[in-house]
Amino acid sequence: MSLIPYLGPWTRAQAAHLLRRTLFGPTHQQISYFSGISMNDAVNQLLAVTPVSPPLAYDAGETVVAQGQPWVSALYPANPVSNQLCEMARVKSLSAWLMRNMNYETANIGQKMFFFWHNHFGVSFSSDARAAYTYFELIRSNGLGNIKQLVKDVTLDPNMLIFLNGNTNSEAHPNENYSRELLELFTIGKGEQIAPGDYSNYTELDVASGAKILSGYIVQGIRSSTVSAASATYFNALHDSSTKTLSYHFNNATVPNAGAQEYSNYIDIIFQQPQVAYYLCKKLYRFFVNYDITNDVEVNILPEMAQTMIANNYDVLPVLQELFTSQHFYDNAYLGSIVRSPLETVFSMLNSTETQLNVNLTTDYNVYFNMFFACGNMGLDYLNPASVAGWEAFYLSPAFSRLWVNSTTIKFRFDISSGLNVYGIPINGYTLKIDPIPFLNNLSIPSSADAVIDDICELFIAKPVDAAMHNSLVNVLTNNLPTFEWTLQYNDYLANPNTPAFVDPVRQRVNLVLDRIFKMPQYQMF
Amino acid sequence: MKRRDFVKNVALASASLPFVSNGFGMQAIGDKLFNFSTGAEDRVLVMIRLNGGNDGLNTVVPIDQFANLMIHRSEIIVPQNQLLPVTPTVGFHPVMQGMKNLFDQGKLGVVQNVGYPDQNRSHFRSMDIWTTGSTDIDETRGWLGRYFDSYNPNYPDGYPNASYPDPFAISMGSEVTATCQGIAANFSHAVSNPNNSVNLFEGSFVNDGSYYGNHVEFVATIIEQTNSFGQVIHAAAQAGSNLSTMYDPSNDLATQLKYVAQMISGGLKTKVYVLSLGGFDTHDNQADALDLNAGLHRGLLQKVSDAIAAFQNDLQLLGLENRVVGMTFSEFGRQIASNASLGTDHGDAAPLFLFGTCIQTGIIGPNPVIPSAIPDQAGVPMQIDFRDVYASILRDWFQVPSNEVQQLFGHTVQYYSLAGWCNVGIEEQTLEQGGILVYPNPTPSACKIKVHLAEGRTSISLRDIHGATVKEIFDLSMGAGIHTIDCDLDGLSSGTYFVVVRNHGKTTVEKVVKTR
Repeated sequence: MSLIPYLGPWTRAQAAHLLRRTLFGPTHQQISYFSGISMNDAVNQLLAVTPVSPPLAYDAGETVVAQGQPWVSALYPANPVSNQLCEMARVKSLSAWLMRNMNYETANIGQKMFFFWHNHFGVSFSSDARAAYTYFELIRSNGLGNIKQLVKDVTLDPNMLIFLNGNTNSEAHPNENYSRELLELFTIGKGEQIAPGDYSNYTELDVASGAKILSGYIVQGIRSSTVSAASATYFNALHDSSTKTLSYHFNNATVPNAGAQEYSNYIDIIFQQPQVAYYLCKKLYRFFVNYDITNDVEVNILPEMAQTMIANNYDVLPVLQELFTSQHFYDNAYLGSIVRSPLETVFSMLNSTETQLNVNLTTDYNVYFNMFFACGNMGLDYLNPASVAGWEAFYLSPAFSRLWVNSTTIKFRFDISSGLNVYGIPINGYTLKIDPIPFLNNLSIPSSADAVIDDICELFIAKPVDAAMHNSLVNVLTNNLPTFEWTLQYNDYLANPNTPAFVDPVRQRVNLVLDRIFKMPQYQMF
Repeated sequence: MKRRDFVKNVALASASLPFVSNGFGMQAIGDKLFNFSTGAEDRVLVMIRLNGGNDGLNTVVPIDQFANLMIHRSEIIVPQNQLLPVTPTVGFHPVMQGMKNLFDQGKLGVVQNVGYPDQNRSHFRSMDIWTTGSTDIDETRGWLGRYFDSYNPNYPDGYPNASYPDPFAISMGSEVTATCQGIAANFSHAVSNPNNSVNLFEGSFVNDGSYYGNHVEFVATIIEQTNSFGQVIHAAAQAGSNLSTMYDPSNDLATQLKYVAQMISGGLKTKVYVLSLGGFDTHDNQADALDLNAGLHRGLLQKVSDAIAAFQNDLQLLGLENRVVGMTFSEFGRQIASNASLGTDHGDAAPLFLFGTCIQTGIIGPNPVIPSAIPDQAGVPMQIDFRDVYASILRDWFQVPSNEVQQLFGHTVQYYSLAGWCNVGIEEQTLEQGGILVYPNPTPSACKIKVHLAEGRTSISLRDIHGATVKEIFDLSMGAGIHTIDCDLDGLSSGTYFVVVRNHGKTTVEKVVKTR
């Protein structure tokens, strides 16, 4: 089967699948809305990325800008101790902001594409929160744009220059770190080692030549008290001005000295190899469809995606537009074929129950900062990808996304559900807990126990549930009473919406259903 | 029988003896000295992964190559007079006092120039090669996973069970280890803190055969195993203890090793523990420009050295030294020449550490040769294939028959004598007159016979289980006192033999087992 358009019925099931893959946690209303418009309109709307407002100062260590103000282009204190404290405050703000962005995501693919590129380039936090923010905005705002340009921009991004030592790569002392990963991980990908130093798509010669080509940049302004942003500056004296030769994989191309533009010429040469499109499309496929590259996918799907990518000069958007409207994408085989990362685990719990933090600036950021740590406990530190190759769950065969779940991380997943639904998670005087009443009231027929369970399962379970599971969840909701008892209970609540004696039992039963769902093996996929 | 010992946690039945030793409680001696005398099933392997590619030349410094190292890496190299010499030609990084002490006590071995042919300098591919024990790009199983698979083809279906109550392997932290990846599941169980008890809700499921259905079954199995393994691990942690005061609570590797010692002392039968320490990808600031003895690499080596020293101290105090061997591994060494960032780029071979009382100690293999002129990007050439290190440990420590070891690896295995006998508790043991010790035992090739003789004619011979003499070792007039005699078992088929000592009219017998 090739990548032909999907022509089947467009129902809640298809819309829910699309939303689960493009958002961190769709709501019941979002599924209603997107199933009510055409597939093409749905996909186009989801591919229209909207801006995100910058992180705000909230921690006492921030002494340069006022609380509630963005610090992303503010100076740092000159005093080294204050400078360090300020940086810690900004890192906390930045970490919290990453979480808040997912919790407040609008109905488009922006946050998922950010996850994709963050994983793709694998940049760990370096030494300046402003530079980290600038880098994050680069990969977020260009997530559906031109990859060739994105790779060029990332190459000279101060955060990346520091991370992979481009800032100390000079003619006298070439540093291969970035040069190697540019080929191995960011563009053409590493193939089998077919001869000493020859990795099918490039050789050690290319790594060495690339280091020379990319030499000459330094980073200035890190945590500066006088300039408002870190920047990359080219110094001709540090640049290797020789003519570099590439391997036969690049047709033995020579790269003459072109000073500050040479990196761009080199990246153009790399992108002339169609293997680049194939490599990138395989990563997109694994991220959005399935980890398993079957023979059919290898022969029929990936080449078509790559062809589309090349025909559009390496723009991402047309590739995803074609993929998300294809029959292949909606094949039942791929329902729930990916194990949730910690992000899909946590933010589905929150977003799909319409739980957003809106207490006050400090509380919200404190709670988000704690969520950031919770995700780290589950194996995903969102500020620091596991390595420059990203998180293993996206590339390590044969387990792939199953690597997110093991005896340590499953306990954290369960603990978070218990905290959100049963005990409440105390954070600096605030208790974080899902209040399911507004969520319940937005479901199709809140007074029907069967309908409530159907709606909840649609949100959290990727495939239709069988009667046994449905009934067991209904029993949790009704506390093993006949279903009409739920209807009475709910109607009592509607008649007395401000009386705890009527509200609390309804709230408690829904929390218990959610807690049960979140701890089912079936919830761990999406 | 033996091949199952490693995977099956049952005690070996003791072999019956065709003749009785006179005068000495062989059983008592055996119990006292040979903690491993029941065989491989009690033995534990601890692996520490140094993630990122450890700079071997800044860890185990070839002092005889120092002048040429100065040519290539003067910006980062620790001054020669600050190194900790462990032999006339080898010095450790100054921060590794703990490991130097172990070296001096005969509890540390350094295998030089370990790598594999046609070095791949990608972190990810190279770590795959180290964890799969294979250079075949299609191999996705770990080297230990393949071994576990061969006896547990249905794993994880039906595990744990009465025969296998404990995890095969434990990976410390929040990730399972790729070394234990099998066909259907990973044989390692992730443990972050064994003191936490676990009781997770177990849901029901139906596997419809789809990707989703298979994932559901996978997660359901993890949940069940987390509960059942969690109970035995928690019980072992409760029963176990630590006795060393050397663990630094701020050293995360030390904390993990402390948990490992606690679990072993608590009776957990897990065979393999895998730990990981990251940060070795020292492209920059490996050394401090103002003090070459400072910098990132020093901090990393300090963690490793202090943690291993504390762990070994703990094992000694717990009386567990002869049951545990440890090793370090890293995906590659680094290039000989430093870069301009006070760091080093990806290289080739590097030294590997073995630690414990039952390993080959000292420096194994020659120093790398550092020429005065080297090509760009030169690394240290590989001399010992890491897969042979793995294979030797499987054969000599876990007593896996060599034909089975060979089947686990794609290359022709060459064995090195790296583990399998114990150096402590035997050498130091004072014998009463007439006493005898044979070690290592079991042994694949050779052993030592330590006897306390009375003055007079003494003969030592080796007999098979039928009583037939297969080898005359010794027949001389000897002075009184303790003597140690070498005994070569090469050429004998594997099995049980008896060392028979006649001295001053008395006969003493000790069993020795030759392994394949």
